[in-house]
Amino acid sequence: MRAAKTAYPLTWRIMDALEAFAAAIWPARFERAVPWLMLAPALLLVGLLVLGLIQIADTSLRTLDTSTFLMSEDYTLANYRRALTESLFATVATRSLLGSLIVTVVTLILAFPYAYVMVRTPSALLRKLLLIALFLPFFIGQVVRAYGWLIILGNQGMVNEALGLIGVEPLRLLYNYPAVLFGLVQYMLPFAVLMLAPALTAIPEELELAAGSLGAGWVRTFRHIVLPLARPGLIGAGIVVLTLSLTDFAMPAILGGGSQDFIANAIYDQFFRTSDQGLGSTLALLLVAVGSLLVGLVFTLFGAGTLAMGRARR
Amino acid sequence: MSGKLLTYGLSRRRLLQGAAGAAAGLSTIGFPRAFAQEPEKPSELIVRAWGGSWVESLKAGVSDTFTAKTGIAVRHDLTEDNEIQPKIWAAVAQGRVPPIHINWDTTTNATKSALRGVTEDLSDLPNLKNTTELAKPVGLDGYPIVNTYGYVYVLAYRPEAFPDGPPTSWKVLLEPRFKGRIALYNDGIGFHFPAQVAGGGKLEDIPANMQPAWDFIAKVKEQQPLLGEDPDFTTWFQKGEIDVACTISTNAREAKKNGINIAWVVPEEGAKFDTDGLWIPKGLPENELYWAKEYINHALTPEAQQVWLDGLGLPGVVPGLKPPADLVDDPSYPTKEEDFAKLIRISSKIQVENESEWFAKFKAIMQG
Repeated sequence: MRAAKTAYPLTWRIMDALEAFAAAIWPARFERAVPWLMLAPALLLVGLLVLGLIQIADTSLRTLDTSTFLMSEDYTLANYRRALTESLFATVATRSLLGSLIVTVVTLILAFPYAYVMVRTPSALLRKLLLIALFLPFFIGQVVRAYGWLIILGNQGMVNEALGLIGVEPLRLLYNYPAVLFGLVQYMLPFAVLMLAPALTAIPEELELAAGSLGAGWVRTFRHIVLPLARPGLIGAGIVVLTLSLTDFAMPAILGGGSQDFIANAIYDQFFRTSDQGLGSTLALLLVAVGSLLVGLVFTLFGAGTLAMGRARR
Repeated sequence: MSGKLLTYGLSRRRLLQGAAGAAAGLSTIGFPRAFAQEPEKPSELIVRAWGGSWVESLKAGVSDTFTAKTGIAVRHDLTEDNEIQPKIWAAVAQGRVPPIHINWDTTTNATKSALRGVTEDLSDLPNLKNTTELAKPVGLDGYPIVNTYGYVYVLAYRPEAFPDGPPTSWKVLLEPRFKGRIALYNDGIGFHFPAQVAGGGKLEDIPANMQPAWDFIAKVKEQQPLLGEDPDFTTWFQKGEIDVACTISTNAREAKKNGINIAWVVPEEGAKFDTDGLWIPKGLPENELYWAKEYINHALTPEAQQVWLDGLGLPGVVPGLKPPADLVDDPSYPTKEEDFAKLIRISSKIQVENESEWFAKFKAIMQG
């Protein structure tokens, strides 16, 4: 006999079983603890990171004894004194901070039009092409991309070969500050576009049409409508690009030719070249502190942007 | 219950008689005695090595012949020497088995580990008695490490850039035509000592007063040198990025083997001579420690040294080795007393105590 159309569906039976299982595992009286259960993995992860930071903080207060290569038993602030007074670290810190600011500004300027076109274009094909072009770099890691630039910009690379065709001697395009910044911008662009696109999607297209119908050209529309409403996206993208470029290791190491160290490279040197884990830990903690201060400053001045998930509005 | 234990009708008494007979038979052919002589062989030994021609030479000269002799496979871990150091130190400090059995390391780095007390003593290796004085680490008790060869940080150059003849002094690095086309190790290793002399100072003043070295290095900084590691020099020469470099002769020789025209000299100010060696971290199981020592012992045989060091083009620690055909009378392959006259050798103790400071000072000049 065929089952009646009003028979209890199979999927509902499965859901009933699952709910009974969940109720057995997590009785109803613990209902209010469910949010904590959801947070538990995140808390565990952050907890492990905090434990690691505490370990690093402990190491940062010990100095290296070069006759035994063991860390000192007593605590001292000598590493912090060195980190804050030696010219090498001041140079590296300034270079990293300035570099990350430049990369952030340039990346946002380049990412904005890309995200805007991707979001606003009526052509589905163009949108798909832009999305693919955006995601392809993610399949190739940062290191491989940096090596790609070594091939393209090297002395015998494509650019110098092309210049050679018009009689220009090979130029040193690599192993300098601009090369590092260039590599970082190229690496950060997809991140910035990904952070900007949702913010631009949230701007109703009707507002731009309305502005146009009231006589505003695209420059005024952009200045008075699009840009202010895109601010949360710009803040979110800016913070992500700023923190990623401040802490980057691969681009300065590969494209910098050894003379353009960022903070992460200086930390690596302390841990792996001079075996001074105390000073390395000190630099790592100072980097965390400076990075947190910068982000805190941006949040205070501009709000949390898209990272606030729609709650805080200024 | 019947007396039958197995389907073949073997009774229990017969089984016990057979087992006793087998045991007696095995003991007469010495099987248990053979077990007592050699500890159990591990399935593999892990040896840390530098990549490229370095690991290829070790494989050809030492690892493959060791495997043929003992049946133990050898796996090469290409983690950089300075990166494996904290891992080994942490493993020993935490009472864990270290990540490798044998570390092929610079003598200076190995000395740091020896001072920290994480190395096994190798004084009982039988083949040590057939080695030269170069094998013994200076300033340490016993043999926490065995030096296996020496090498020179030469002035490598492209002959096309020197139509009037090879360079004779490190000061060639300051010539304006080489701006942006010179290379050094990124911590300055191998360059600090010749820079001291080129800067007008004396070797006797190392480490007390190295200002002449830093002044000379500051001048080199104006030339925008490229700073890198071993494989970078080979790549830069091959890609035409540099004309002159301070590097270990092996790296220049590697570029030459790949068809690039490279030569090298020991300039008038001298060149640094140093050694690399092998050592075993503490914490290995007894049987693995035994076979790791056998590996190092094997590396000290003339046959192993000859093939290994032919690949590197470096002089060994066993008397009677023949230099490769292209390196006879080459300044990077010192064999006689007079060959060492222009080479700079500073004790491991001074290097270990001051290296961190020298690296930091070099970096401060180059990054500034």
